[in-house]
Amino acid sequence: MTQPGVQDVEGLLRRLAPQALGVLVRRYGQFDACEDAVQEALLAAVGQWQNHGIPEHPRSWLVAVATRRLIDEIRADRARRAREDAVADLEERCQPAPDEPEPSEHDDTLTLLVLCCHPALTPASQIALTLRAVGGLTTAEVASAFLVPERAMAQRISRAKRMIKASGMRFELPPEGERADRLRAVRQVMYLMFNEGYTASSGSQLQRVELAAEAIRLTRMLHRLAPADGETAGLLALMLLTHARRAARVSADGALIMIADQDRSLWDQRAITEGLALVEHALASAAIGPYQLQAAIAAVHAEAPSAEGTDWRQILALYGLLERIAPNPMFTLNRAVAIAMVHGPRAGLAELAKIEGDERLAGHHRIEAVRAHMLELAGDRPGAAAAYRAAAQLTTSLPERRYLESRAAVM
Amino acid sequence: MKYMLLIYDNADTRELFFGPEGKALGEEIEALMAELAASGELVGGEALADPAQTRSIRVRDDMPVVTDGPLAEAKEHFGGYLIVDCDSAQRATEIAARWPNARFAAMEVRPIMNSGGGQDL
Repeated sequence: MTQPGVQDVEGLLRRLAPQALGVLVRRYGQFDACEDAVQEALLAAVGQWQNHGIPEHPRSWLVAVATRRLIDEIRADRARRAREDAVADLEERCQPAPDEPEPSEHDDTLTLLVLCCHPALTPASQIALTLRAVGGLTTAEVASAFLVPERAMAQRISRAKRMIKASGMRFELPPEGERADRLRAVRQVMYLMFNEGYTASSGSQLQRVELAAEAIRLTRMLHRLAPADGETAGLLALMLLTHARRAARVSADGALIMIADQDRSLWDQRAITEGLALVEHALASAAIGPYQLQAAIAAVHAEAPSAEGTDWRQILALYGLLERIAPNPMFTLNRAVAIAMVHGPRAGLAELAKIEGDERLAGHHRIEAVRAHMLELAGDRPGAAAAYRAAAQLTTSLPERRYLESRAAVM
Repeated sequence: MKYMLLIYDNADTRELFFGPEGKALGEEIEALMAELAASGELVGGEALADPAQTRSIRVRDDMPVVTDGPLAEAKEHFGGYLIVDCDSAQRATEIAARWPNARFAAMEVRPIMNSGGGQDL
């Protein structure tokens, strides 16, 4: 057997992680303990498979090793002597078997996603647990993605699992009536995970491509599990169309480049093609929703030959629709930008005045950044400089602060 | 979102912490730290030695000028910090309010800058 590469092994393990976990939880219950056991099996596999090759039945290998860990764990728990019988029962069933067909493998992964995105958890915990249990990342990897110590992340994950356990949620697909709500929660977690990677609210680099790529991988998986769901397709399209710009949004010296100034030849055409096809198909075949509309807006940018050639009228119409079906002050703010681009900066400023008092935007740097840009377009340079400075004070992002200060300086 | 919680002391708080009431205050702090560790919000933190040991350094005309003591004489001085990663500024403020120094001197909550970029629109 030839030695597999590190990336081959890691890619395979990440694909198999939710499958192995699904098998274990269905057999033995105890999501909490099974998730720990699979995590240990994954860590064991990294070393063994790289040195000795990938086993013939990799998933069965993982299931067998994880089952063994689960038994060890239960054994070690002396306080639970009454479970000796359960151990004997488990041991009988843990013999490695060839990869038996698992008819409900898809359902398992979907069930895991729903479980990890449990509404009782905070968004940060939902993301962390999803990355570990479904994404197959180690605690150390999840911790480094969020720049927190590994023990802090380990605590967050075990706390999240305890909350799921306490909620009494069972390992099964939610009933038909609840499924739409649950899927919406899963999409929200994927969206936040992507944004965390894309805007990197706590990263050492401008973009932590890893986390955004992982969000795309998991959303792609969700899209395969629920192909008829238009909003999941819309979310995947939105991610692909946004991620396509990643190489163009940072200069060689690390400065932020706004979309109007980006070198469009650096945009990833393959991701754009895939995103466009997804959003077009979803809009034509499924009930319309906010992710599809945001993807449609990203598509207008992706298809524009230049910043000047952008179809702002269409973007304005899409934001109008978005505001109606999913009211949100950020959409209103973005719509004000579109109004400025179509009807001029004064019209944009008038629109901005309507949302200034919105508490949800209070203290947010973006409203000042948008105002600054409109004042600049209107030729009010001192006003623009003051607004750029106000925005610079409010942001906690260093590249953004540098960008805003540099705009203030040239006004 | 990460926040630094700056812990301020004054002459009286030092006496409090090292006096007869110090044990109870120490236990209060330990309990809060344990709670933050268990919730996964605690990123780090340190306590600083007495301000009498401070050295201030200024470089003027390429020459470092070192003086003993803090930059500015003030009733309250910086005594240590915590770094927490939590869901909101409100949560960081709640944690600060539970640190004993908030009762005797003051706490400051400040967001930590990050290297992430914003939206490119």
